[in-house]
Amino acid sequence: MQVFLQTLVGGLSLGAVYALVALGFALVYRTMGLVNFAHADVLMIGAYVASTFTMSEHLPFAVAVVAAMVITGLIGLVIERMLRPLEGKDFDLMLIGTIGFGIVLEALATLIWGATGRAVPSPVDTPPLHLLGASIPTYDLVVVGVAIVAMIALTLFLERTRRGIAMQAVAMDYDAASAAGINVGRSNAIAFSIGAGLAALAGALVGPLLYVSPSMGGSIGIDGFAAAILGGFGSIPGAVIGGVVIGLLSSFSAGHFHGYSDLVTFLVFAVLVMIRPTGLFGERTVSRA
Amino acid sequence: MSLLNHRLARPGAYTVLLVIAWFVPYSVGSYEMHILDTALVYAVLAVGQGLVMGIAGQINLAQVAFLGVGAYTTAILTTHNHLGFWAAAVLAVLASALIGLIVGLPALRVQSHYLGIVTLGLSLAFLNWVTNASIAGSGSGIPGIPVPPLGSVDLSSDYLYYYLELVVFTLGLAFGLFVVRTRLGRRLRAMRDDSLAAGSLGASIPVLRMTSFLLAGVYGGVAGVLYAGLIRFVAPETFSTSNMFLLLAMVVIGGRQSLWGCVVGALVLSIVQNELTDLSTYSQLGYGSVVVLMVVFLPTGLAGVPSQLLRLRRHSTGGTSLTLGQFQPYDAAATTSAGEGVLLDLDGVTMRFKGLTALDQVSLTVHEGEIRGIVGPNGSGKTTLFNVISGLYHASGGTVRFGGTRIVGMRPNRLAHLGMARTFQNLRLFRNLTVREHLLTALDRTPTRWAWRYVLWPFGVQHGEKFLRAEAEQLLDRFGLAPFADAIPYSLPYGIQRRVELARAMSAHPRLLLLDEPAAGLNGAEKAQLAEIVGSIRDSGTTVVIIEHDMSLVMSLCGRVTVLAAGQVIADGLPTEVAANPQVIEAYLGRAAQNTPTVEDEPAALGSEEHA
Amino acid sequence: MHTTRSSRTTLAVSSVVLCLAAAAACSAPSDKSNSSSGGDSSAPIKIAVVDAQSGENSALGAWEYKGAKLAVDQWNAKGGIDGRKIQLHLFDDKGDPTTGTNIASKLASQGYAAMIGTAESGVTVAMEPTLQSAQIPNITSGQSPQIIASKDPFVFLNGPTSTTYDATLAKYVIDTKGLKKVAMITNNGSYGKGEHDAFLAELKKRGLSPTTDQVVTTNQIDFSAALTTIKKTNPQVVFIGSEEVEAGLIVKQARSLGITAPFAGAAPQGTPVYISTAGAAHAEGTIVSSPYLNNEATAQSKSFAAAYQAAYKQTAELHGAKAYDGTSIVLTALKNSHVATGKKLADAIRATNYQGLLGNFSFDATGVGIFATKIGIVKSGQLAAAS
Repeated sequence: MQVFLQTLVGGLSLGAVYALVALGFALVYRTMGLVNFAHADVLMIGAYVASTFTMSEHLPFAVAVVAAMVITGLIGLVIERMLRPLEGKDFDLMLIGTIGFGIVLEALATLIWGATGRAVPSPVDTPPLHLLGASIPTYDLVVVGVAIVAMIALTLFLERTRRGIAMQAVAMDYDAASAAGINVGRSNAIAFSIGAGLAALAGALVGPLLYVSPSMGGSIGIDGFAAAILGGFGSIPGAVIGGVVIGLLSSFSAGHFHGYSDLVTFLVFAVLVMIRPTGLFGERTVSRA
Repeated sequence: MSLLNHRLARPGAYTVLLVIAWFVPYSVGSYEMHILDTALVYAVLAVGQGLVMGIAGQINLAQVAFLGVGAYTTAILTTHNHLGFWAAAVLAVLASALIGLIVGLPALRVQSHYLGIVTLGLSLAFLNWVTNASIAGSGSGIPGIPVPPLGSVDLSSDYLYYYLELVVFTLGLAFGLFVVRTRLGRRLRAMRDDSLAAGSLGASIPVLRMTSFLLAGVYGGVAGVLYAGLIRFVAPETFSTSNMFLLLAMVVIGGRQSLWGCVVGALVLSIVQNELTDLSTYSQLGYGSVVVLMVVFLPTGLAGVPSQLLRLRRHSTGGTSLTLGQFQPYDAAATTSAGEGVLLDLDGVTMRFKGLTALDQVSLTVHEGEIRGIVGPNGSGKTTLFNVISGLYHASGGTVRFGGTRIVGMRPNRLAHLGMARTFQNLRLFRNLTVREHLLTALDRTPTRWAWRYVLWPFGVQHGEKFLRAEAEQLLDRFGLAPFADAIPYSLPYGIQRRVELARAMSAHPRLLLLDEPAAGLNGAEKAQLAEIVGSIRDSGTTVVIIEHDMSLVMSLCGRVTVLAAGQVIADGLPTEVAANPQVIEAYLGRAAQNTPTVEDEPAALGSEEHA
Repeated sequence: MHTTRSSRTTLAVSSVVLCLAAAAACSAPSDKSNSSSGGDSSAPIKIAVVDAQSGENSALGAWEYKGAKLAVDQWNAKGGIDGRKIQLHLFDDKGDPTTGTNIASKLASQGYAAMIGTAESGVTVAMEPTLQSAQIPNITSGQSPQIIASKDPFVFLNGPTSTTYDATLAKYVIDTKGLKKVAMITNNGSYGKGEHDAFLAELKKRGLSPTTDQVVTTNQIDFSAALTTIKKTNPQVVFIGSEEVEAGLIVKQARSLGITAPFAGAAPQGTPVYISTAGAAHAEGTIVSSPYLNNEATAQSKSFAAAYQAAYKQTAELHGAKAYDGTSIVLTALKNSHVATGKKLADAIRATNYQGLLGNFSFDATGVGIFATKIGIVKSGQLAAAS
């Protein structure tokens, strides 16, 4: 029972991390119809920038996070601008283009910060809480809290603001949206930089939990992407639920299958996707048939 | 380049390339030789990736895992089970073919980025297995794979191994090119460009998708065997995600839709990567940037450069004339079967989408030899009706009979084989196929599973190709399309595109032809030609059902007209009767204001895309 | 794309293949450059460092290169060997065995006298056959049993094997300290598996079995299930077999779950990366079996650390020291043998007794040269010798 509870807690904290990653995937997909494979590498850049600000410049954590979000937001603008000629045209090519950007970002990080990586001290260092024999690290609660707030804020932005609604129109019908007078280029640029900012937020929060290195994006990105798909690609609550599902799946399969946990996780994921391709909440754009 | 020269140019170029490749080892050092050996492994792998991703359009991110299955199976069978190298090699290719099929299963349900992440996940699952399993060396890999024995030839020499690889690679590439240029490849490319249209022409999409993954698995397995024989050691690191992305970069830079491009990309990137081994971070930066620039500025990769240059030159010299040829009418069928039997019979067909009823108890009978018009305001369910008849939608209720057979629930490709063909309201042509290839794809009526003939009897495939081509020439002439035979339809004027789609639908000489707004976007002269063609099609024995907004065309062409409004049949009869029906007039007047412009708008919107 | 053309192509191509096959049977190509070194007695001596400079293992590679370069620079400053300068070339294997074999061919064809590296066992094993046939001695940092099992006369280890590390550790933890309730957590990678097997063998030797034997993957992030299971068995010490970063994460999470028992492990658990990832407070008390505890241990290590600091503005650590030792051994052997190559150089290396930073090197038939480690304890963020 104690093992079960603790695994649950571990899985939920991990789920919060994946949820934050998945939110960025979901936002960009919902507003641009683009799958951004470079997302996890933007996250890595965000983690580096935020940790540089806290460790070298001794800025408060929150300030460092905001600064990192601004910088990755700018990177997002550059990526969007480069890929703009493909928007609304060739979906698969854009996907490959973002993989290219991911490779570039990883190489850049190696050149700037070196290949060694760094450990980042946790900004919240109070002792863990105890609940029914399970211990809950306080910093994990911060991550969970931020994930929930980000989910609510994004939902409100997309459903309640004019800009948010306009952005979704772009993803649903590129030509119609531009015919209706929406500045599609600017809408996409904003969406993409918000997505990149979200990546930085996730990266800054993940940094103290893990170890920041140029290759950190790899497995987080794949799991986060899987989370976005499980929840229903483009759905904001779906991203969070998907993140939790993947987090629990990894933690419990690690508990039961030890070394073979990745095998089990990805097989289960493949089966889930085949059973329900549109995810738990359904895909949130118009089909591309 | 004149046509005659071109005929001889290709075999000539192949021969020259092969001779050069044959004598390369005589002029390189042992290091360069080894680099070339590993590059050739990647070239074989890239051909597989080109087939599944470039030709069949399946985003497969497990290709490096197929390499791993081939290499690991060879390693395990030779070192653990002490099997001979070649016996192990055969089993290894079979194993990776099987894994290819398993990894391909999700493609039956999902596509695009979904497929990408699922295949990537499955390749990580494979990596996880070889890292753990003690039979696979528990993460430390398997050393001591024996040198492949080959008579008196010592294959432990990188120089002699090169020749083994060269032979396998040449055969692999030749087979790949053979597939791409014949019926299976055309179907795969048609599926990549538009799976719905390809299915409506009789191709079984699930079989095609599995075939493409099977091919990817086989090429991966062959590359894996070559890898095992060359390196004689396998470890998990070789099959990592970053190597998968490197392979992807090779294929994209070379040009994923051309197997030659994939090969060039694999060779160039392998060699450049090794030359820059002291500057690997910069080379990573370099190839990442090149991938980005390629997808934006040169989506067809290096392989697309010649045709782009050619196109530029053609532009500057003015290009060819763009007028449609004359349609040559069909011979009238021996027995005019007008009014004889019922060909299509709908009874109480209902189609519901999440609370919305698009068709409500539609009943309709079309006799053989008829030209039936279906009219109705926009949103009245006309296209939905076609989609139900042609098998794209599964009706929620009611029965559809085609030639007496109940067809509800049958896939479009089965219906195509039963003799049904259709066109689409918004022109579903294949983006990267020439006009001739459109017709060749449509003319091919063999079941998709006949693809096994490629392995067992390739000469038969080659032979059948001759007949297809002869038929295609006839069809091109009949529809006046011969001047554009080698053009991509989307680069042609709209009227010609419509004609191509009509010719494609008529390729198999169907019993029933469904035309969805065939006159939309045509000018007066083109409409007159259309009426003439449709008339001739009917006279040749094909029954026609036509959705059309142009009332004068409907009046002149159709024997009977059915009127739909809000998903229900509100009138059915002779054109003159229907036109006088007060219910029909009301249905039309109520909406007339919005109707006409949208019909005219559509071609304009499509036209803007072709500049992309 | 006419049918006839394709069939004609097939015919033409296949006939050409047959002709060429016949031609090749007469004279097979081979390497004519024949650039194996040794002839020119004034040219610089070429030594290669092969290690990952990009990707996940690049930190190790960077440290090793620094250690090797420091040794070479010091020898060159003293005038080289027999008046010849030593040239050190760095190759990036990316942690990829295939790239490793490419580099091995390059070393073979370009006359390298010896090779330092790699830090990844998989790459070293992949390179072995080529290096062996080219007779290039290889001082590796890998410690996988496969390297030792090959009995390749050209392969030498610049450090102890997992068996030595874990025998020393078990002796201290179990025999000296009397901690018999040991839990194990190792990863399923090549290094973790080696540690797992070596330590488990030591336990078995003493008739013990671990309270629990948890295996995790190399890229795992959440260890709740494994650690809670360990906690339930209430061990006196937890053996950890994993690389620096992951071990740090495991310890960090273990402490927050309330595991108070000390951790014990081999060299990675003594590194600054491990200590900073876990957090100095969490790593406190970690028992480490390592041949190189810190820079202050001996006069020799002090001067090495000073030179390292001067050259790179960084603090020296184990991997740099290992590479420094390995390189120094090769250079000593080159000097003793008057710049021999191939088999003679390998024999010279085997004959070299070298007093290094890690201890006394004296190679046996399997290429292992050092059979002792020391025990250190992490105290206030630093590894110090156990009292």
